[in-house]
Amino acid sequence: MRHLTANQTVRAGAVLVGLLGLLTMGASAMHIAEGMLPVGWAIGWGAVCVPFLVAGFFAIKKKIDQAPRAKILLAMCGAFAFVLSALKIPSVSGSCSHPTGVGLGAILFGPLVMTVLGLIVLLFQALLLAHGGLTTLGANTFSMAIAGPIVSWLVYQLLRKAKAPAAVSVFAAAALGDLFTYVVTSVQLGVVNGGMVKFLTIFAVTQIPLAIAEGLLTVVVFNVLEKYSRTELQELRVL
Amino acid sequence: MGTDRYAYQSRLRRVSPMPKLLLTAVTLVVCLCCDSVAVGLFTLVGMGVLVTALGGLSPRVYLHFLKIPLVFLAVGCITIVAGSYPAGTEMVAALPVGDRLWGFTAGGLWLGGRIFCKALGTIGCMYFLALNTPVTDLTMALEKLHVPRLLVELMELIYRFIFVLSETAANIRTAQDSRLGYQGFRRSVSSLGMLASMVFLRAWRKADRIYTALESRGYTGSLATLTDAYRPGWGLLPLTALAAAGQMAVWFVEGRLLP
Repeated sequence: MRHLTANQTVRAGAVLVGLLGLLTMGASAMHIAEGMLPVGWAIGWGAVCVPFLVAGFFAIKKKIDQAPRAKILLAMCGAFAFVLSALKIPSVSGSCSHPTGVGLGAILFGPLVMTVLGLIVLLFQALLLAHGGLTTLGANTFSMAIAGPIVSWLVYQLLRKAKAPAAVSVFAAAALGDLFTYVVTSVQLGVVNGGMVKFLTIFAVTQIPLAIAEGLLTVVVFNVLEKYSRTELQELRVL
Repeated sequence: MGTDRYAYQSRLRRVSPMPKLLLTAVTLVVCLCCDSVAVGLFTLVGMGVLVTALGGLSPRVYLHFLKIPLVFLAVGCITIVAGSYPAGTEMVAALPVGDRLWGFTAGGLWLGGRIFCKALGTIGCMYFLALNTPVTDLTMALEKLHVPRLLVELMELIYRFIFVLSETAANIRTAQDSRLGYQGFRRSVSSLGMLASMVFLRAWRKADRIYTALESRGYTGSLATLTDAYRPGWGLLPLTALAAAGQMAVWFVEGRLLP
């Protein structure tokens, strides 16, 4: 920084501000767009998802065999996840983004069920809304329907075991699950062409406020659900 | 919703989904494997021609849909292109920050451009499928491809419920908005939280009622539906070969021109 003239500092500052402006525009870009990953990586991420999906599929099958009603309920839950991710979430930084629903889904339905529902929701998002893509479906499923929900669920279970207040556990689960999803996404993008640090920095700047907003939102959702639908929540434990 | 509305209006709507799936899959894989600027742009334009000429979609709508994934693409590509390099690196455009240079190198720009064009091409391929095939046809095709019955059924149900729930959500949103529910961050979060939980509650209760209705009509665990009468769409098969051949030809020509 020794040789920096005032002029250079101003220019550098301008560039940084410009970049930040661009980034808030793409703050909702948690999906990896179609065609961003080379063939090898696309197949690789798809293969990584397979065991989780198989486990999730059989978990769902078992539930439906026990209670046929579960099929309709699960389908409603999947549709709910889709609609949730289409809502605009208010953000601290002023831009708008969409909630991932990762934390809420994982806490309500458990990570295994979320894998299959997440896959279907992501497929519909790719086809109907052009968020994500067909070849990047594997990578997106891994980050949003497997890695994120597992972290959320673990955080929630751990904090509940540790006798933390419900609001704190829900907030931490949703925010951390959200953040971890973005970390996985940036790793997925970063390992292909390098620049993982760049992706992580960008996501840190844009996603931490969003993760906090999503955490707060999830707490509000939980408070309302606890007040008005205790029976449904109890049913979910057995679902 | 999104592409679905146009899929139902497409002239290829009555064509069997299989050849459409094949065309998308082949061009998508070729475009992804070639990994070149020219093939990407060729695929993008070619798919645009197919969608507008065969499907009867207006070019303006196609262009509008291409804009949607641009944000996702731009973020991905800018991070690839821009970077900081040690002083003395040959740059196309750069700004000094400390003793490092921030900006673009020729190599980085070329890489970013290639990924951008390739991705645009594959997005064109995906749109050919999405803008010509309603989801219900697609689930039928998946069943023929031996995707587990349960998964296909879940997809069909979720697809139906998406519309039911998003209507509910939109109504609640309008009601909240008209009562100034989205003024300021605090109120927005609490309104949105209320909306999400109410949509969840309604979804849950609706599911209960739907199950009761189904059971009273003799539901035994699966919803059987008859396939539509499709046109076979044999014409799309030579077109698939032609498109793939065109992509390969462009690839070879580009390889010759750019050593």
